[in-house]
This record gives sequence, structure tokens and C-alpha cells, in this order.
Amino acid sequence: MNKLKKLFSSLSFRIISYIFILLLVCSLIVSTIGLISFTNAFKREYSTTSYHMASTACTLVNADNIDKYLNEGIDDEYLKAKGYLDTYCLKMNVSLVYVIKVDQSDYGSFLSVFNSVNNSVENTNYSPWELGYKRNTTNEEYREKYIALYSGEVEYETVYRTKKLNGLTPHLTILVPMKTSTGEVTALMCIQRPISELKSARRPYLINLIISIILLLALTTFITITYLKRQFVRPMRKVSDEATRFAKESSQGEKLGEISRIQEISNLAKSVDKMEEDMLTYMNNLTSITKEKERIGAELSIASTIQENSIPHQFPAFPNRKDFDIYASMTPAKVVGGDFYNFFLVDSDHLAVVIADVSGKGIPAALFMMVTNILISDRTRMGGTPGEILTFVNQGICEHNEADMFVTVWLGIVQLSTGKIVASNAGHDDPAIYRDGGSFELFKTKHGLVIGATPKAKYADYEIDLHPGDKLFLYTDGVTEATNTDQVLYGMDRMVDALNNCKASSPKEVLDFIHADVNKFVGEAPQFDDLTMVCFELNKKEENKLVLKAKNENLYQVMEFIDEFLEKHDCSMKAQTQIDLSIEEIFVNIANYAYGDGEGDCEIKLGFNDGIVTLQFIDSGMPFDPLAKADPDNTLSAEDRQIGGLGIFLVKKNMDEVSYQYLDNKNILTLTKKIN
Amino acid sequence: MNISHTREGEKLTICLDGRLDTVTAPELETFLLENLEGVTSLVFDLKGMEYTSSAGLRIFLKAQKLMTSRGEMVIENVQEDVMEVFEITGFTDFLTIR
Repeated sequence: MNKLKKLFSSLSFRIISYIFILLLVCSLIVSTIGLISFTNAFKREYSTTSYHMASTACTLVNADNIDKYLNEGIDDEYLKAKGYLDTYCLKMNVSLVYVIKVDQSDYGSFLSVFNSVNNSVENTNYSPWELGYKRNTTNEEYREKYIALYSGEVEYETVYRTKKLNGLTPHLTILVPMKTSTGEVTALMCIQRPISELKSARRPYLINLIISIILLLALTTFITITYLKRQFVRPMRKVSDEATRFAKESSQGEKLGEISRIQEISNLAKSVDKMEEDMLTYMNNLTSITKEKERIGAELSIASTIQENSIPHQFPAFPNRKDFDIYASMTPAKVVGGDFYNFFLVDSDHLAVVIADVSGKGIPAALFMMVTNILISDRTRMGGTPGEILTFVNQGICEHNEADMFVTVWLGIVQLSTGKIVASNAGHDDPAIYRDGGSFELFKTKHGLVIGATPKAKYADYEIDLHPGDKLFLYTDGVTEATNTDQVLYGMDRMVDALNNCKASSPKEVLDFIHADVNKFVGEAPQFDDLTMVCFELNKKEENKLVLKAKNENLYQVMEFIDEFLEKHDCSMKAQTQIDLSIEEIFVNIANYAYGDGEGDCEIKLGFNDGIVTLQFIDSGMPFDPLAKADPDNTLSAEDRQIGGLGIFLVKKNMDEVSYQYLDNKNILTLTKKIN
Repeated sequence: MNISHTREGEKLTICLDGRLDTVTAPELETFLLENLEGVTSLVFDLKGMEYTSSAGLRIFLKAQKLMTSRGEMVIENVQEDVMEVFEITGFTDFLTIR
């Protein structure tokens, strides 16, 4: 089925079938015209000979006697003439020879004069008409011809019956006017002849014609096929096969070259050759370009890892340090970025924090970043203030800065024990400072020149005092200049607002919050610049906390927790016993009374400062101030003494200070005691 | 806390070892309820007792109230820290401490 479909749709089959149909149509038209001309010529010839025959028959009858025969009837002369005509009819092999006199008043009828019949010719069974037999004119055709003949304008008329009619074989009737000696048309001599000769003459003609046409068609088709195959189909198939092969294999094949003298095909073949060559070259180029791209991609990925590893990237960065917390994040716009942050302990009390933004992006910025970062961290470890360090680093970078790149840097060294930061700013954005209990605000100072601009640049130091609970937030302009799809900048105000929405959070949470806020603002817009942030928090002094169910059986757990804390701070045995007694009284009090019949938590917070320990008992039970009750009367005898109130009295006596607060639906009892 | 006792006729001597606090006090209270029958002389030997809180004081007060009508109650060998608690709360005024 597919093969047949392929054959029908192939170019050669189509061309050949079109030519075949065209030739067939032409041949049919030509042969039809030929047949018509042949028939007409034959008819003409036949009627001419018939005319001559009729003219001859006319000489056998004396036209002057026609009227006499009709008026007077048969006589010897009539019989003689009829005998001639009968013989003539028989000898000339015609069906009918008859003479009629047409009624000239309307040509609607005629009278028979002579009538000779030869039924053997056409196998008919005519019976001869009597003399004077009257008959109506057969049809209008005959009537018109009668009129023409009687007018003397024509020499003869012919009536053809080529198709079989009423069982009669095809024949013709020739009518010739019979003229009297005075030249007057008196009657018509009619001869009916079969024209089967026409048929028999036409058949061989037709057969010859058909054979010639078939031969012509076969020959033409053969010649066309051969020509087409050689000149057109074969080269076209070659081109097509080669194109198919190339599409499938995409490899170098044999050249088509000069495959045809037809210019269009030759051009096509040349174009296919050229196209294959170009395509292969292009493919080779593409392969090597792709390989190169993959290699660059892999190298970039390694470069990105190296860059990432050159700065602290594991958090918490100082798991053993409880006195501060630092978190940083860097999201490069490209695989490698030009922003960087860094922080490291110069000694156990000094933390250096750097944030920087290199001009430009991508590989050049990343390389420049590496150099700057190494210079800054090496120089910082050698000692000196940030201003001195940046001045030195600037000189170093300016010496070899052919690429005219520059970098903005903020460098600060935090003294962890005091919270004092000495910082220097080389053209970088001002940091934001959070004051514990307050809010984030930009800490604005005068900036130095960007690093890399001129070797003469000098950088000044300034100081920021951080207190426990304060935070320092550093960022690059990737944050403030993040742009949304409407080309609106994120901006400083939005950043400060966002910071204040998460001011109580840890450094990690602050960065996550800002990052999420920037992303939300930017929406679908692509990240244009690197996004780098650092958040440092100076932790509040150590605070120990325990939360447990306020139940008597948890008493020892509370004591253990507090004793451990006291021992750590070199508490005297005596003070420890006194504190133990106090915490038992208070905890048992909360356990038994704070929540009535229900259950609840007790939170215990411990603090130590300057030899004084602070203990806080916090519960969410019903408000109760144990200090409001009067002290028990110690002078009463055993019988009169009440057991209640002794516990809190013991606490008051054993501790240096006891205070009660009811805050946020919580009872807060604070005890302090000097322990050494 | 460890409670040990010796009974000589109507005299009961109770030795307390360890801490007498909220957790351990109910144990001593139960012990007293079960063993004070027919006792006219109750002696607490606190040589090994290093700590007491108001829960302990409550037991001593209760015992004292009981023994006042029956005979006598004596507390011996009180350690310094415990003594201080007795003093602060004025228990030294009615307890017989030797």
C-alpha cells in the first residue's frame, strides 16, 4: 500500500501520467476531426455518384409524357419505361428508383409515376406504388427540398438516413428534377441507395487511426520516460537521496557534482553540496563551542566554590562563643560575584568584620575581590586600626590596578568585651545599628574614597559603641538598589523599615527576613546585583534559664540547676545552703498554690554579676505577692505558733533582697544574694 | 533522707541523716504517726542532718505540740546550718535543744 502511494506521489509518475493524459486528449480531438472530415468527404463523393446515377435514370423516362401517364394511365410507352427502370434498379443495386409528381400548390403531397423496388439490396419488403398513388409528403425536410428542386435553383438534393430508422438500414435518397423539353420541372427522379459502404469504409479508417494513436502514445510515453529519467528524475532522485541521507546521518557523503545539464537541477545539486559542507563546518564549530562552554561552566563552578570557601560560610561561625553572634549571606547575581564579606577573630577579644563591593560583576570582579579580601585580612591580622589597614590596602591595590577597578569597603574591629567598634569606611554604605530596646538606625559618618582610586587616599577611623543586645547590620548596594519590574528601587527606607520589623530576631533571622523582603519586593524582576549582608549581635550577659512543671517532685531538678550555677561562680557553702533553702520555699510555694488544683510551669532565671547572684521565679498562676503577708510572730509558744508564712520568712532572712512584680500576667519574684 | 530509731521503753530516739525537705518530710511525718504510740520521751538526733526547710520545721512543731502534753521532746546534735534556721524562725525559743 505504501509502495503504491510512494509510486503515485513520485515526480516521474506524475509527469508521465500528465503527459499521457494530454496526448490522449489531443489524439482523441485529432481523430474525431479526422473522422468527421472523412465522413463528410465520403458523403460528398457518394451523393455526387448518386446524382450521376439519378441523371442517368432520368434519360430512361421521357419527362414530357409524365402528365400523360397520370391522366391516361398505363400504355406501352409507360411499360417500356418502367421496364428500363426496373432493370436499372436491379443492375445498379439500389433499393428504390421512383418518379413522383409533387402537388405544387402546397408541396404537401405527391403522386407516384414510376416505382421500382429491389428488396434484396437492403433486405427490405417494399411493395411498389401504383401509378397515380397519392401520398403525403414524408416530412418538412422533404417538403423544403421539393420546393427547392421545383424552383430550378438546385441540380439535386440528398436526404441522409445515417442512423437506423424504423428498421431501415442507413441510406441516402437522391432527388433530381425531371425537366420537360421546354425546361420546366415536371417530376422528381428519386433513387434510394444504402450507405453501408460508408460504414465499411469507415471501419478500417478508424482501426488504423486507433492503432496509430496507441503507437504514438506508447512511443511518446517511452521517449518521455527515458528523457525524463535520464535528464530529470535520476538527478533529482540523487539530490533527494543525498539530502535524505544527510538529514539522517549528518556526515560527509560523496559530492553530487555535475549531475545534470539542466541548469536548475545543476544549481540545486551544487547548493546541496555547499549546504552539506557548510552545515558540517557549522556543526563542528558548534561542538567545539559547546565543549568550550561546558569547560568554562565547570571552571566557573569551581571558581564559585573557591570564592565561597575564601570567606566564612559555615554557621554558626563561632559555636563556642556565647558573647556574640554573627551571620552573613552572599547571593551573587552571576555564578561568581564581586561582593564579599569576611569576619575573623584577630585575637580572642577582637573580631574583624569586613563588607565590600567590587565595581563590576563576573570573573573580573571575583578576581579583584579575592585580591582585596586577602590583602585586608592579612593586613588586619598584622594589627593597626581599620583606617591604617585600609590606607595600606589602598596603596597596595593602586600599585597594580591597570584594570581601573575599585572597591568600596567597610571594615570594623569589635572589642568583644566592651562592645567598642573601631571602623573605617572606604565609600561603602553606612551600617545600620540596633540599640537593645530601641530600633535600627543608619549610623551615618563621613566616607573615605573608594579603594583603588588614588594611592594618596587616607582613611579615618570612627567609633561605634555597642551594648549587650545591640546589633550591627552591614549590606551592599545590591540590597538597597534591588529593582522591581516597575523599575522602583528597594531603597534605604524600605530596608530600615524591614529591619525594624525583625529587630528582636537573631542575626540569621534578620538576614533571612531582609532577603525574603527584598525577594518579595523584586518579584519577577531578575537579580541585577550581588546581594550581601552581615549581621552582628553583641549578646547579653550570660543568662541561665530553666522552665519546668511546678510540681514538688521537680524540686531536686531546680536545686541541681541552681547549685551547678552557684558552684560555677565559686559560691560559698553557707550561701549555697541559704539559697537552697530559699529556692525550696519559693518553688514549693508555687507548686502548691500558684495554679490551684491545676498545673502550670515555673520559669527560673539565674544571673550573676559582680559576685551577686540573681534568681527569678516566674509563674503564670494567680497573682500572689508573698511579700505582702506579715512576718510570723516568733515569740509565741509552740502551742500558739502557726506553720504558715515560715517559708517566705526564711527566704527574706536568707537572701539579701527579695522583690515581687506582677507583669504580663506573670508573678515574678526576684531574689539576690552576694555569694562570695 | 535516712530515718533510724531506737526504742527503750517509753523513750524513742530518732536519728535523721541527710536532708529534711519538702520531698522527705512526709516520710518522717508518717513515721512519727506510726511510732509515737506510748512514747513519753522523744529524742531527735540530728547529727547527720545537714539541711531543713519550713517543711522540716512543720514536723518539729507538730511533734513538739504532741509531746508537750505527753512528756518531753529533745533535739540533739544540731548542725550549724540547721541551728541557724531554728534561730531565725524563733524555734529555739520553744524547742529543747541540747
